[in-house]
Amino acid sequence: MAQHGGPQQRIFSPLRTALHRFAFILLIFSAFGLMLLGKADTVLIERIRAASADLVSPVMNIVSRPAASINELTDKVYNLAHLYEENERLRQENQQLLAWQQAARNLSHENNRLRELARYTTPPALHLVTSRVIADMGGAYAHSVMISAGSRDGVAKGQAVISEEGLVGRVAEAGYQASRVLLITDINSRVPVIVENSRDRAFLSGDNTNRPLLTFLTADAAVAPGDRILTSGHGGAFPPGIPIGVVSSVSENSVRVAPLFRRHQLEYLRVADYGLQGILSDKRILESQAPVNTNDTMLAPEIPTGVGVVPAPPEKPSTGANP
Amino acid sequence: MKPGVWQRLDVIARGLFPAFSVFVLLLINLLPVSVPLLSTASPALALMAVFYWAVNRPDLLTAVTAFFLGLLQDLLMGLPLGVSSLVLLLVQTGSASQGRFFHNKPFSVMWWGFALVAIPALLLQWLLSSALIGALLPIKATMISYVLTAVLFPIVAWVLARAQNTLLRYV
Repeated sequence: MAQHGGPQQRIFSPLRTALHRFAFILLIFSAFGLMLLGKADTVLIERIRAASADLVSPVMNIVSRPAASINELTDKVYNLAHLYEENERLRQENQQLLAWQQAARNLSHENNRLRELARYTTPPALHLVTSRVIADMGGAYAHSVMISAGSRDGVAKGQAVISEEGLVGRVAEAGYQASRVLLITDINSRVPVIVENSRDRAFLSGDNTNRPLLTFLTADAAVAPGDRILTSGHGGAFPPGIPIGVVSSVSENSVRVAPLFRRHQLEYLRVADYGLQGILSDKRILESQAPVNTNDTMLAPEIPTGVGVVPAPPEKPSTGANP
Repeated sequence: MKPGVWQRLDVIARGLFPAFSVFVLLLINLLPVSVPLLSTASPALALMAVFYWAVNRPDLLTAVTAFFLGLLQDLLMGLPLGVSSLVLLLVQTGSASQGRFFHNKPFSVMWWGFALVAIPALLLQWLLSSALIGALLPIKATMISYVLTAVLFPIVAWVLARAQNTLLRYV
């Protein structure tokens, strides 16, 4: 940093400035190039993202523990202060739950008998992977968290991620030992849902706020604040019936849903592998070109192209089973 | 007198400190915290550090480093690629060229300078992210993020200044 005024300096100084300027322009162009690349080659970018998650996950795994224990401490203090009210509330809830348990048992027996009568094929067994949240990509631009489970543990892209309350999101990228979970509140998240009471179908579309929107709702749908929203299972990404949230507000042009989970309290999440194909596997994305013969699958005409829903490869028996 | 190998390694390691500090702040940004506000909008810690080093030691945190730190931020936070790279690059270049202005001035001047720089930086980030995602992101979260970033700057700057005084005095 010392200022030398030698003849060398006089020659090299302008050269260096020119070089710096050139490097700056080059970097600007590379930034825009990256933006284009991010739009064009999503598969490659996903691999790189997964690799970067793997890179920092050992550090985050350790560092997030003290953070979690601090959180636990504040929780404990809070709980101590509200012990009495909490106890009262839990007592009441327990009474209600016992009544529900009885109802559930009855229904479960009845269901089993009806299934036997109808020769119902049970859905594939559920495979759960429990993992810790090691990073929260909190911010104004993306709603996602990182979990400490990856392909090593059987986590794959597109699987449903649930907390004890309900659906949290889906696996966006699975690395070897860490994965990124796209929350249902993220602007890129779309989940096919159903309103519990009225059975109206819709999409839950995140918009980076804490209250995702219910879109593609039919005009005559009867939705009121307080209605529960469940996954519908359409598209084959998630199984039907996972609770997602409660309708929080209904206005003329938007219906908003309050998710059941609280993002700042996410600590342990379960990745559910329902053995479903999912709509997001790379193989099926490659297959997403329009089917050669649309009459082959009965699904094809209903599904608009470009929404990410890929019809299953034509199989005669499966189409025959659908009414 | 020629410096020994260890001495040179020491100088190199110290020279890498600014970039490393930005990386650490990125990881801190990723920590899951159980504060409702912080999970919707977090302060841009990396932006603070890049500004600080660009003003104080632009020779140790160059434009290229800022670019790659931005890339890392995009990858880790799930942002559209290239956005943070561009923002941090512009902040680094802009602040480094104005670095002399802040020398020998009270800290409050630098704080004001940062508060001013952070507005276009976060706005650009918001605008580019919205354009690349293809939908208007809620501006409210960005504004909260800005306020947090501006308010928390002195803390980060203080830590970085302490580190600069102890580690980088002779580098």
